[in-house]
Amino acid sequence: MSHVNTTTFTIVVVLFIIVTGVGFAAARWRRAADMMHLDEWGLGGRSFGTFITWFLLGGDLYTAYTFIAVPALVFGSGSIGFFAVAYTIMVFPIVLIFLPRLWSVSRVHGYVTPADFIRGRYGSRGLALAAAITGIIALMPYIALQLVGIQAVLEVMGVGTSSTSAFAKDLPLIIAFLVLAIFTYVSGLRAPAMIAFIKDTLIYVFVLVAVFYIPTRLGGWGHIFGAAQTHFNSINPKTSKPYGTFIPTPKAIGSTQFDFASLALGSAVALFLYPHAVTGTLAAKRRSTVKRNMIYLPTYSVLLALIALFGYMAVADPVTSANIKKAGGNAQLAVPYLFQHMFPPWFAGIAFAGIVIGALVPAAIMSIAAANLFTRNIFKEFFKPDATPRLQTQMSQWASLVVKLGALLFAISLPKTFSINLQLLGGIWILQLAPMVIGGLFTRWFHRWALLTGWFAGEIYGTIAAYNVSSSTASHWAGSSDIVFGHSIYIGLTAVIINLVVVVVLTLILRATKVPQGTDETLPHQYTADPEPAPAPVPAGVSVTTASD
Amino acid sequence: MARARQKTRSAVAAHPIASTMIAILLAANIFFVLFTPIYSRITPKWGNWPFFYWYLLIFMPITSLVLWIVVQLQKPLDRMAREQAAAREEGEVRS
Repeated sequence: MSHVNTTTFTIVVVLFIIVTGVGFAAARWRRAADMMHLDEWGLGGRSFGTFITWFLLGGDLYTAYTFIAVPALVFGSGSIGFFAVAYTIMVFPIVLIFLPRLWSVSRVHGYVTPADFIRGRYGSRGLALAAAITGIIALMPYIALQLVGIQAVLEVMGVGTSSTSAFAKDLPLIIAFLVLAIFTYVSGLRAPAMIAFIKDTLIYVFVLVAVFYIPTRLGGWGHIFGAAQTHFNSINPKTSKPYGTFIPTPKAIGSTQFDFASLALGSAVALFLYPHAVTGTLAAKRRSTVKRNMIYLPTYSVLLALIALFGYMAVADPVTSANIKKAGGNAQLAVPYLFQHMFPPWFAGIAFAGIVIGALVPAAIMSIAAANLFTRNIFKEFFKPDATPRLQTQMSQWASLVVKLGALLFAISLPKTFSINLQLLGGIWILQLAPMVIGGLFTRWFHRWALLTGWFAGEIYGTIAAYNVSSSTASHWAGSSDIVFGHSIYIGLTAVIINLVVVVVLTLILRATKVPQGTDETLPHQYTADPEPAPAPVPAGVSVTTASD
Repeated sequence: MARARQKTRSAVAAHPIASTMIAILLAANIFFVLFTPIYSRITPKWGNWPFFYWYLLIFMPITSLVLWIVVQLQKPLDRMAREQAAAREEGEVRS
């Protein structure tokens, strides 16, 4: 493939070293008396204001998914990839409905993870365990997506790919991975929060420059949209179907509208069920911080929409299209190749560094979140209830390494036709927490055993359905939508509907037979509370107040 | 628990217009993106941009604006809920 460009390579390496330095220095930032406490390592001391929270959540939510996976889908299939744009619009009104309540009740009771909340709300260790395991497993393909993103950039840079040995080929990825693992281990949540500043500055700069500059090189937006329209309406000789859709089509001509809407809705509901998004939220100082962020975060959505359009620019640029074809049609390479062709090497270097760091930050946050889940809701709950804060933090540090290794396995073993499927697969799993978490924030009507059974049904259906999706290139795990009643629809959404039906039916039965419901340690007014100073953290499962009824 | 739930309800009941508006704004913000047939079309174009694409782009500042209005509308409700919570905590300490 292409030769390694020294300028590009040097700039990426220098920026990477700077960021690593910041990652280690972050351990000292807003330093607390005792760093070996999970509130410190895992939640940055719960002290982040609107500004830092905005960067942190932005860094959380807009990841290699945005820079690599979405443009790849747009490049490969056209308008369906814009479901991600609809999703990042819908997500904020949806989240504003329930997230402030989760923040309040977590602050009152010192919850760190979504599973802590489940434990306290339903008084059920089993249900909390289900939530914890789901969170950890769902995060793995999402972290894997970050690794695939880094890989795409490295491949276009020509690093490692010329070598025939598998080890040398993956060496740069492994190095990036190790650096990530070590600074997460040392600095906890402070590292990604601080790096997020640098990363977002880089990204805002290169995206805005690219959005104004590239169209002038490609004959304007009219030409870009025109080329995309022609391309996606033309017939692919291999499948004798169009290459894609330029706008979502109604059912009469192969429905993609339903698919589009269900993918957007499913992703929007799923986003703030992910433990890392909850972690970012709980690190906020006040309830109003969370609310204000829902107003400002759509700025990132604008960025996502513009980046999605890079997929069309790659279609419209013959050199980029040819490069991707040469690389075996790997659509993940669309944005890196586009930048390599359109920009001088030094600027491509800045953009590539932005993408790599933009993948590392969320990977760090996600592995911290998964580690917190393991320590609090599995290790401490079931193995060592008397674990000291120090031991808990050490467990989390190690767990964050294990989770990253799991992600590496996902990255290697699943088909990479469209890396977006990694995120959508995680979405199928995490969505099954919606009835217990979102439902539980508003009502205690659902019965805990009904929720557990519904969760199980949803997970089983979702996993089997996703496993059975095949394509011309892969026999399994090839997509995230299946056909229901003639409509193509996101599996996560079908699964959560099945889940909900089971929950409602079983709740009616269990309530009628008066099966014990478990103790609720939360009180209604705590869901709107806004305690001023952060209270001393209370271990999960130890109730500070008793239910009054 | 029942007593407290009545109180939270009363925060909504005390501000029926604000509460209704919040519900309508949030529902509309979701619906107009979720219901794809509204905007799955090429015309009317804006400059060279097909409708589908500029509609989605324009919706982002609109979302920010709508959510800003919602948060402003929620302020009196939040204040009320906060006061009730404070009163409740006090009552608990006393009892």
